[in-house]
Amino acid sequence: MNATIEKHTPKLMVLPTFLILLIISLVPLIYILSISLTNSTISKPFTDFVWFENYKKAFTDEVFGTSLVNTLVFAFSVTTIQTFFGFLLAYAMQQERKLGGVMRTLALLPLFTPPVAIAMIWRLIYDPNQGLLNYYLMKWGLVSGVIPFLGDKRLALPSIMLADIWQWTPFCFLLCLAALQSLPKDPFEAAMVDGASGWYVFKRLTLPMVAPQIIVIFLFRLLIALKVFDLVYMLTFGGPGNSTQVASFYIYRVSFKQFQTGYGGALSILVLILISVLATLLTKGRETILKRIE
Amino acid sequence: MKKLSHILGMIVILGMLLAACQPAPAPTEAPKPQAPTAAAVEPAAPEPAQPEPTEAKPAEKEFAGQTLNFLTIQPHNVAAQNLATWFEEATGAKVELIVVPYDNVIEKAVLDVTSGANEIDVIEYWYPGLGTLVENDVLENLDQWYVDNASWLKPEDFFPVYFDTFTKIGDSRYGIPYDGDMHLLWYLKPLLEKYDLQAPATWDEYLNVCKTITEGEKGEAYGCAIMGAKSPLILIGTYLNRLGSFGGSFFDAEGNPSINSPEAVAALEALVEQSKYALPTPSAVAFDEALGAWFSAKAGMVEFWTDLGGMTDDPASSKIVGEWGVVPLPKGPGEKGRVVASVNAGFGVGVSTGSQKKDLAFAFLSFIANPEVAERYNTVVGGIDPVRKSTLDNPAFIEFVGPAVAEAITAAHANAVVWPTDAKWFTLQEPLTDNLSLALSGDKTPQQALDDTQKAWEEILGK
Repeated sequence: MNATIEKHTPKLMVLPTFLILLIISLVPLIYILSISLTNSTISKPFTDFVWFENYKKAFTDEVFGTSLVNTLVFAFSVTTIQTFFGFLLAYAMQQERKLGGVMRTLALLPLFTPPVAIAMIWRLIYDPNQGLLNYYLMKWGLVSGVIPFLGDKRLALPSIMLADIWQWTPFCFLLCLAALQSLPKDPFEAAMVDGASGWYVFKRLTLPMVAPQIIVIFLFRLLIALKVFDLVYMLTFGGPGNSTQVASFYIYRVSFKQFQTGYGGALSILVLILISVLATLLTKGRETILKRIE
Repeated sequence: MKKLSHILGMIVILGMLLAACQPAPAPTEAPKPQAPTAAAVEPAAPEPAQPEPTEAKPAEKEFAGQTLNFLTIQPHNVAAQNLATWFEEATGAKVELIVVPYDNVIEKAVLDVTSGANEIDVIEYWYPGLGTLVENDVLENLDQWYVDNASWLKPEDFFPVYFDTFTKIGDSRYGIPYDGDMHLLWYLKPLLEKYDLQAPATWDEYLNVCKTITEGEKGEAYGCAIMGAKSPLILIGTYLNRLGSFGGSFFDAEGNPSINSPEAVAALEALVEQSKYALPTPSAVAFDEALGAWFSAKAGMVEFWTDLGGMTDDPASSKIVGEWGVVPLPKGPGEKGRVVASVNAGFGVGVSTGSQKKDLAFAFLSFIANPEVAERYNTVVGGIDPVRKSTLDNPAFIEFVGPAVAEAITAAHANAVVWPTDAKWFTLQEPLTDNLSLALSGDKTPQQALDDTQKAWEEILGK
């Protein structure tokens, strides 16, 4: 009897936490899934059961399609650039004792700044008539007329990406730095004793050893980038046209501007499925890459 | 398949149970007839700095020690602060302001009631959202309140265009008119005089003035600033200025969508053409960008609300003090062409069904509706434009805004065009905003954009 209790004690101890986590995770999901099968509005939830009509509608919704494409383009672009520059900076700063502390402090500033403030700063920078960017571009003779960064459909999404890269590269830098600093010293000392060149050490030691962490950083950052909302809301409201319409912002418009919570729920579930599929594929890809490195 | 149906059925039942467990909105009382407080019907209190020997002691005030939450929009923050101060002086009640961006006010009010939070007592609402608020049971019905307070309220003093549009759904009223916002055309005299141009009376003249100045100034200034940022209030407002004057409308006389009528398409074509010469780039120009260009003499003309004169004459923010003129919006072409004043961004005030302090909320509503209090908030800078005929005729108001603006407002009332207030409007305005923006960005022709909007509206309305 005592042995049985002793055997199951750890499981029983964990059970309350497990149940709480299960409820916290599943309840909203079940709620959204249920509401997505109805024509609910914000004040009349669970009215007019329509099965998969909202999902059918989503597949023919051009704006939703555009928003998904924009979301993927945005997320993969900024994540790749941020991880690349974050790693480069971290690698350069890893050896730098004097400037390292200052750099780490500076890197924290964009992370401490509220996203709304960041968006306002960039809105002022991009302003065609009084913005810093146009002022200096014209002063230095690089352009002859003002550039409407947020008003041109070809430039609006890259302009939001630039703001996002400024905001999130330090995040990648700090994580990459932590990854680099956690590497064991012995292999590097041995390589130095053997007279290996800097490039050889980087290619044969640093990169393979740090790759698993870098891939995790990429994945982590990608999942955050897929949910971009604040910069779009503050800078362009999804325009011009639908050139910066992203999935989170479109779901917000459907759910809280048009109050169609049933349809908004269906869009949320579809985005959730898409992100889950992407995360699974990328995790599999990570395993493949790691096997090759080994 | 049967198993799948069972699972889905279970999920739906579970969801419904969860919904049933969510906090329900507080039971709403039938609107009580509310006699105006003594403070509300008496003449407005003098300026705060002046002593008031006849006023009752704070301890004797009717609502002393109570607090009321008033939902207002950021551009009206100063006006709301004034109201809070005056109301506290009159009744002893403290007014806490819940300030949100202008385009979030309807969703904030709806979510407050539907979530069961019930924090808000009195709501300042953007009038196209009135139907949405009523459909979601957010505003108290004021029919009885109007009957009981007619003697001092003087409903006949409200401009009819505001009174019915801002407050009435079906046969019932749910609010009072508060801010009568309509667009006029403001122009910068020195810039037009430099090119020997007159303020435009037609949209063709407007295009000519805008083009002449923009081409002449070579980037130093622009003939016009057009607000075309992708927000319903901004973009549809700018379009309505043209739609109405070209003789078009959102719906025909039978209530069917008519957004792709020849007049509507011509109006959008005109907007797209004008935007080529406007302050770059209309798609990214919202209030801040337009005002920045206007105050710094970089825009020759701007379509803006009636309180722009007061803001422009503030030397702290403007370089063009006293250098502006104002006229009604230009007339559209052809037989159907007319001069209009679009009521973009008008606001009403109502009592939340979720309010836990109904007596206090109705007292505050009465205070705002008081003609003498209205006179006070219409004659200080705060972004509130008159909704009463008596305010517009008042010498203090004419002196405050200047005779030219008062005259333009008076003329504009005869030609006001308004936004729909139907409960479906918030759903309908989204595809219109998308398609107007797509036309401005060149992704669709005006005809395509409005055909697509018509199709979307017919689907939404089941026509």
